[in-house]
Amino acid sequence: MKASLNRKVAYIGLGWLVVGAFMLPFLWMVLGSFKTTVDFLSYPPVWLFQPTLENYRQVFADNAFARYVLNSLLVAAGATFFGLLLGIPAAYALARWRRRAMGIVLLAARMAPGIAFLIPLFVLFLQLHLVGSYVSLIASHLIFTLPLTVWLMVGFIEALPVEIEQSALIDGCSVPGALLRVVVPLTAQGIAATSILSFIASWNNFLFALVLANENTKTLPVAVLGYIGYTSIQWGTLMAASCLITTPVLVLALCVQKYIVRGLVTGAVTG
Amino acid sequence: MLPALLAIVLVMAFPLLYLLFMSVHKWSMVGYEPPSFVGSSNFVALINDRRFIESLARTLYFTALGLLSNIPLGFAIALLLAENFPTRNVLRALLILPMVATPVAMGLVWVVMLDPSLGVVRYLLGLVGLDSPPLWLSDTAWVVPTLVAVDAWMWTPMVALICMAGLAALPAEPFEAAMVDGASVWQRFWYITLPLMMPTLVVAAMLRLMDLLKVIDIVYVMTGGGPGHASETINLYNYLVALAYDKVGYGASVALVLFALVLASTIILARLRGGQS
Repeated sequence: MKASLNRKVAYIGLGWLVVGAFMLPFLWMVLGSFKTTVDFLSYPPVWLFQPTLENYRQVFADNAFARYVLNSLLVAAGATFFGLLLGIPAAYALARWRRRAMGIVLLAARMAPGIAFLIPLFVLFLQLHLVGSYVSLIASHLIFTLPLTVWLMVGFIEALPVEIEQSALIDGCSVPGALLRVVVPLTAQGIAATSILSFIASWNNFLFALVLANENTKTLPVAVLGYIGYTSIQWGTLMAASCLITTPVLVLALCVQKYIVRGLVTGAVTG
Repeated sequence: MLPALLAIVLVMAFPLLYLLFMSVHKWSMVGYEPPSFVGSSNFVALINDRRFIESLARTLYFTALGLLSNIPLGFAIALLLAENFPTRNVLRALLILPMVATPVAMGLVWVVMLDPSLGVVRYLLGLVGLDSPPLWLSDTAWVVPTLVAVDAWMWTPMVALICMAGLAALPAEPFEAAMVDGASVWQRFWYITLPLMMPTLVVAAMLRLMDLLKVIDIVYVMTGGGPGHASETINLYNYLVALAYDKVGYGASVALVLFALVLASTIILARLRGGQS
């Protein structure tokens, strides 16, 4: 008994040490966001200090920050919504009738570098005079939210027993009707998880917004780079902004823990 | 149903077909010159483009370092967290955070931490006796390994979580039989766990491979490809050449090469798995 207790203590210690090391950047970001410039630039680094809210005040004093938050929300919500609108029917078709070619298209999308989509889209949007518009941002983010939605939803729909839909169809329900009245309500939890993963992917995306957004439509990941000025870098403000950007996604991610790996495997990431 | 499927094929396939079309043209967005057909000359020019070849080699180096660090480390973490001990589930939940946190923001946090004179990394290394660490991102020899480490911080937890799922799904019988036969912990790992986990490890490696070959965000934010071009990956070069230097057609051919590279190496790795089992 004693030996197994010692083992447990050793595992707890080692486990927290390893995972704790992975948490260091978060700790450093949060600490940094409450430091004055003097504390920020002192060496050896200070772990205990008189915290200041000045950095957060700085972030919000800049009116543009609220605008960037709205931009990010709008683009992520739009890309998620249209991803679901097109992705759920497609996933339903794939799950029930298996279209092999579609699977290949989606797999190619997982492997294709973001830039392979971005170059043609940029030229296309340029010709349509849409560069810098929300339309271009939302449409381009569909490149990754759509495959993500389809892959995840295929899994959720396949887990449903076919009999329920079949009885709806026999009772005279149309196929779209069965999808809307039977499949969607029964996969509500899956849809919620998919929405969150899709939202995170869009919120975090950098490259597409870097190329397609303008001064008024840029999203948070692009905007945060603005804190690195040509002459001076406001480190504390940068850390405060980083905290504000990452906290929502961290909270959302913890809500859908179970599905995170599945989401990442199926393509939340595009380079 | 069908309209949705069709829409998706259009959204996904149209840009790639357009990319293919661009890659055989001399194409610029500013200026008034219309695109002109140049056949395969964009691809031929790649062979003599030193910056392209170097970025390609650098990306392969980046990918190799990434795979060699992520997979063993992730597997080791998975073995640790597969043990049953209190607070294990809290640790598993925390492991999710690095891979979902906004990469741009975390890249900047790492820049702060890696500062050669004031950074906390220098301080922590000093505590364990490493007094003169390299300049990390400013050192041409160290910049790629340093970026790999930051990438590993983000993605090793994903490998760990995939491996944990794999470990949880292993059958119990072989382990029971080995216990009865008196196999040591090491023997059980080497002769049972590792071979049974091989398919999972290959899947994790495939996923990492796809994303390592495409690495760009953290590089753009942390070094911009510098110092000089010492950390310029093929994806970053691709972005610069196509969208910053306005050589769209040429950039399209780079993008196709990168796509082909990801496709080919993933298929090779998938074949390896086929050969193994």
